[in-house]
Amino acid sequence: MHRKIVLAAVMAMVLIGGLVAIAAADPYVPGTPIKAGFIYIGPVGDYGWSHAHDVARQILVKEFPWLSTVYVENVGTGDVVSTIDKLVNDEHCNVIFTTSFDFMDPTLAGAKKYPDVIFAHCSGFKRAPNMATYMADFYQVYYLNGLAAGALTKTGKVGYVGAVPIPEVKRHINAFTIGVREVNPEAKVDVRWINEWLNPAAAAEATEALIADGCDVFAFTEDTPTVVQKAAESGFPSFAHYSPMYKFAPDYVVSGELVHWEKIYADFLQKIYDGVYTAKNLQNVDYWWLLGQGAVEMGAKPGMAINPAYVDKLKAVVIDHPTFGKISVYDLIQTRLNQMGDPGVTFDPFQGPIKDRKGNLEVPKGMWMSVDSLISLEWAVDGVIGPWPGEP
Amino acid sequence: MGWESWLISTLARALAYGTPLLLGTLGEIYAERAGVLNLGIEGMMIMGAYSAFVVAYKTGHPWLGVLVGAVVGGAFSLIHAFASITLKANQVVSGLALTMLGLGLSGVLGRSWVGHPLFTPLRRITVPGLSAIPIIGPGLFTRQNLLVYITMLLVPILWYILFHTRIGVTIRAVGEDPATADSLGVNVARVRYLCVIFGGIFAGLAGAYLSVGYRPSWTEGMTGGMGWIVIALTIFAFWNPIYGLLGSYFFAALYHLSYRMQAWVSPELLKAMPYAFAIIILIFVSRGTLQKRMGAPAALAIPYTRGEE
Repeated sequence: MHRKIVLAAVMAMVLIGGLVAIAAADPYVPGTPIKAGFIYIGPVGDYGWSHAHDVARQILVKEFPWLSTVYVENVGTGDVVSTIDKLVNDEHCNVIFTTSFDFMDPTLAGAKKYPDVIFAHCSGFKRAPNMATYMADFYQVYYLNGLAAGALTKTGKVGYVGAVPIPEVKRHINAFTIGVREVNPEAKVDVRWINEWLNPAAAAEATEALIADGCDVFAFTEDTPTVVQKAAESGFPSFAHYSPMYKFAPDYVVSGELVHWEKIYADFLQKIYDGVYTAKNLQNVDYWWLLGQGAVEMGAKPGMAINPAYVDKLKAVVIDHPTFGKISVYDLIQTRLNQMGDPGVTFDPFQGPIKDRKGNLEVPKGMWMSVDSLISLEWAVDGVIGPWPGEP
Repeated sequence: MGWESWLISTLARALAYGTPLLLGTLGEIYAERAGVLNLGIEGMMIMGAYSAFVVAYKTGHPWLGVLVGAVVGGAFSLIHAFASITLKANQVVSGLALTMLGLGLSGVLGRSWVGHPLFTPLRRITVPGLSAIPIIGPGLFTRQNLLVYITMLLVPILWYILFHTRIGVTIRAVGEDPATADSLGVNVARVRYLCVIFGGIFAGLAGAYLSVGYRPSWTEGMTGGMGWIVIALTIFAFWNPIYGLLGSYFFAALYHLSYRMQAWVSPELLKAMPYAFAIIILIFVSRGTLQKRMGAPAALAIPYTRGEE
């Protein structure tokens, strides 16, 4: 008797639980309010990646009256599925954004578990009928920064502090190095890895090590303004990354990369609201947005591609360019910016012939790289010195 | 760029990166000498970093920030002191809780302070005269933070107090044999409270050094695990301030070299090296009979209740 009651109670709970789950995951009806959940890998206070996504989230809330949002920060890869459970069942989100490469498989698992919820995963390559992918990539901007760095280095050694040696960071270092060498064919880009996304002290010591090794211009991929600050302390120019870091060293920040995730999010959410995107048709939806779409911008401060303090210095460096002949680096940057900013892009930094530093031809003459080969890139371009974990 | 460049950069970075480690270690040595293990260093450090930054930013006075960072670190340590001394809670649990609380609280409070550079950081000084000495000059006396030298001067003072004064004898007695100290009229709880607060003040100073001097801005989680290195360095130092100085600078030198040597040795291996070294020393130190001679307080992490034992 007793056991039966317990059994009945358990069954009732399972049923109720099931009903709740079903009720929570109703398909989205276009034109009704959307609740979007954001899952961040880092703290929104990192002033880098997660911060940039959260800035976009806040812009969206102001822009769309029908949108409400919720976010969860500092989520480990192992907690993504349970976080998705919470966002779907407790927060009743219709759309969930997961913003780290590592979240790819758990997001796919979540998408299978909740087929009526719309998912979008940032920086990955796995999709499903209810899971799109998106990325605002910087490689063009890193290349443009590289052109300026090549003009500014006196020692011929440009320092680069890398976070974690994954294809994205390697792609950016390569693009940057291609820019440096286009202006200054003898220059080297010396790389140091901190193996973390956020560790100011590690970034500081990596910068100091590069300074001790003779580097005099600095760029980085890491989530804090540390490299900018440390380079400025020693009087060296640098390039900002991800967030507007101009104010951290107004006399030394030459340029940098800025992201506008809101452009992608706004487009995606508007299309869901309009009924264009549903939980059935996202299998081939991949945003790979660059300068042309306005998802990224060159500069360390919005609207300022090059720090005015460096404009004359870059105009003064005139090189003999294989395509443009005698041209100042400032004009070269503007020309390349136009070639890539135009919706009809007429130039790509990874334009063949490109050899890796071991001498293998990676991109044949006249060819461009496909998005797939860009996002899986592991080799180091000629001109990169220093360690390169996972080098093929 | 020959060996001189290597020596100079290693010396300079040993001081710059080693100072927050040393500050934290000096404080923890005193807390542990009195018998209280405080794993909350990271939490106190980051609370110090956060409050020092905010005060320096608001007032424009970096030293006021340092002062407030120290006070906040000390005040924050009271949580651990109350839990572990008055309530006699498990010190490991209470210390870990303090670390998590500090990281979380500073993260929430510091949200609106992210992305603000501090325009009035601690000045870096070059010591006249001494900086002209070859190698030693550029290595040790050029463009360092004043707090670096203050910390260095504190080491012999704290060593002297601990081993050559009545205060030091009392502290060590409380850490070795609180029952006997108690029977001799020492207020065990008070000594432990003061030592934990002292440790908190120093952890707060370490945090302030990071946010106002070393890298003048606020970033969530900016202590990046330094608090844990401090715990290891305290043992590494055999609970002695002098060895604390050597250990902190040595660790910082290894840390610097791990970035300079990346071109030849795998970065993952180099990154693990200083920590691996700490573990080796830990294994060495914690071998039973040695422990006593090395200076481990016998009553470390054991709450004291009068009349028990």
